[in-house]
Amino acid sequence: MSFADKINSEFELAEKNASGEHVLAHIRKDAFTSFQKLGIPGNRHEEWRYTNIKTQLPETLSIAGHTTWNVSKDGFNGFADIKATKLVFLNGVLNTGLSTIIEETGVTVGSLKEHLGHNTALTEKYFGKLVNKYEDHFSMLNTAFVNDGAFVHVKKGITATHPIFIINLYNSPENFTQSRNLIIVEESSKLDVIVDFQNQGSSSYYNHVSECFVGNNADLNVTKLQTSTQHTTAVHTLEAEVGRYAKFTCTTISLEAKLIRNTTNVRLCGENSEAHLNGLYYGTGTSLIDNHILVDHLVPNCQSNQLYKGILDEEATGVFNGKIFVKQDAQKTNAFQSSKAILLSDEASINSKPQLEIFADDVKCSHGAAIGQLSQDEVFYLRARGIHESDAKSILTYAFASQIINTITTDALKVYLDNNLKERLHLNF
Amino acid sequence: MLSIKNLNVAINGQQILKDFNLEIKTGEVHAIMGPNGTGKSTLASTLAGKEAYEVLSGEVIFKGKDLLEMSPDERAREGVFLAFQYPVEIPGVTVTNFMKAAINAKRRHFGLDPMDAKDFLKLMRQKMELVEIKKEMMSRSLNEGFSGGEKKRNEIFQMAMLEPSLCILDETDSGLDIDALRIVANGINKLRSPERSFLVITHYQRLLNYIVPDVVHVMFGGKIVKSGGKELALELEEKGYDWIKDEVAAEA
Repeated sequence: MSFADKINSEFELAEKNASGEHVLAHIRKDAFTSFQKLGIPGNRHEEWRYTNIKTQLPETLSIAGHTTWNVSKDGFNGFADIKATKLVFLNGVLNTGLSTIIEETGVTVGSLKEHLGHNTALTEKYFGKLVNKYEDHFSMLNTAFVNDGAFVHVKKGITATHPIFIINLYNSPENFTQSRNLIIVEESSKLDVIVDFQNQGSSSYYNHVSECFVGNNADLNVTKLQTSTQHTTAVHTLEAEVGRYAKFTCTTISLEAKLIRNTTNVRLCGENSEAHLNGLYYGTGTSLIDNHILVDHLVPNCQSNQLYKGILDEEATGVFNGKIFVKQDAQKTNAFQSSKAILLSDEASINSKPQLEIFADDVKCSHGAAIGQLSQDEVFYLRARGIHESDAKSILTYAFASQIINTITTDALKVYLDNNLKERLHLNF
Repeated sequence: MLSIKNLNVAINGQQILKDFNLEIKTGEVHAIMGPNGTGKSTLASTLAGKEAYEVLSGEVIFKGKDLLEMSPDERAREGVFLAFQYPVEIPGVTVTNFMKAAINAKRRHFGLDPMDAKDFLKLMRQKMELVEIKKEMMSRSLNEGFSGGEKKRNEIFQMAMLEPSLCILDETDSGLDIDALRIVANGINKLRSPERSFLVITHYQRLLNYIVPDVVHVMFGGKIVKSGGKELALELEEKGYDWIKDEVAAEA
């Protein structure tokens, strides 16, 4: 049986077993029909040219399969130093025993399955509404199969005091686990979300989708951490829609991977809205880290910033594709993109592609892409003070990366990442 | 302290130092003056171990050891310090972290444990006073956005922190106004000691009004062509370099 046939039969079986969720059933069916047309992309597909995901997903993987295992309170990184509501998911399913919730007025968190199951209107309004905007194989697959995930909702005019920390643990060497977030911040509300991904098994395969709705005048700040993901093969898709005078920030930190693809698509739908997409990736060994980001300017007077930095050592590969679309109506757009990567070894490589498509005539758009090595003059300056060559290089690599880490506003998280990076580089200052 | 014999150095295939000889005893302050393009900075960079400078022949003995056999960082740990003419800006590395790494590299080299955080801060405060550096500068990125004067003061601060045996000052006076020059020179003078030698490379005499040398050398065409006491610097200031060039031409 081919992989495609296997996925088909798994879907049919899942459909048969599902009951009493009519709205969802329709959404799933539509998504699966879309997926069937698209299939799993090969490297002849332009968006997957440098990341041959098809060859990296064993055809024996089950899409609907779910593995359970026991995790104790101290059996994973619970980020004890960061005060936040923490939702812990095991292979995409909420584990209430491991989660800790700080009650806040106007802030609802919990299981996606539970919240959507009880609320048809909510499901109709939000679920799967952002993932059908661009041709996206994996979002469609996810919508068709996903069972649970994180649900976060902030009511109008509420500023959440504590971040919502979504900790995803995976242990799925036999399944291509589907996991999901739905984050809704309504008008004039403010929220910080941290999403962490930890691999617990010998290897993990998963497909994670986040849909983020940012209401008018709202402020949503999402930080994605891929710092315990050494044996992970994963596709991440984050879709955000941003309203008038609203602000969306997404910082993606990928420090470990077997293969990780991060697709981040932001649609600026309301005038005077803004998007900030920051990213840091650090690949070693034979890891492949791919960031495809898009800011779609649909209306006038919006601004966006894309700032990505990459470090590639040993035989690691990086992929960066940064898109800025400025639609015809989106006059007075101000969009900026910067992508920098340093290669620390002769075997490391990066495929970098800025892609600006501008259909309005009164806009300010700029982009800069640089790929290089550490500056010899800087290395020498440090060595001239007695610092060993390898340490000098580590210090400069740390300095390069810290620009992104310093954009993080949750202090305890900044400290965590700073220490993580220092440890990785064997620095002890 | 330092003995340079028949040193020949090229950069990009072009020979700059030609049979260069120099002897500096412990505790002495030597000044090297000379017109532009005569090899003064090449000498400084060669002693610090910059890779682009190719040593063709000759020897450099520093405290009884072959300096040319050592890597740039090993030279620094052994006690050679180059105050750069153009200190590099390094965004993201704070002065504090940089100094911590440098101090501990040196300590490790001599089999000592890393310096205790409290002692380190105390040492920093002491040395900052020496060149009138404000505390805020310590948490700023190394040389980033520093004025010309701040960069040079920072070089002398680093020198004070690392307590080298041989201090090479490469045109430390360039780009300094008179106030900054005074501060930098005062800092250097406070570091003078019977155990420490200085090689002051300068184009102008004015720095030597503040840092009074034991010996003044005139460099021309890749070698020292004249040496004398501090009065030689004054003579150069007065008469320029042309008479030296004439003398060299006459000898040839």
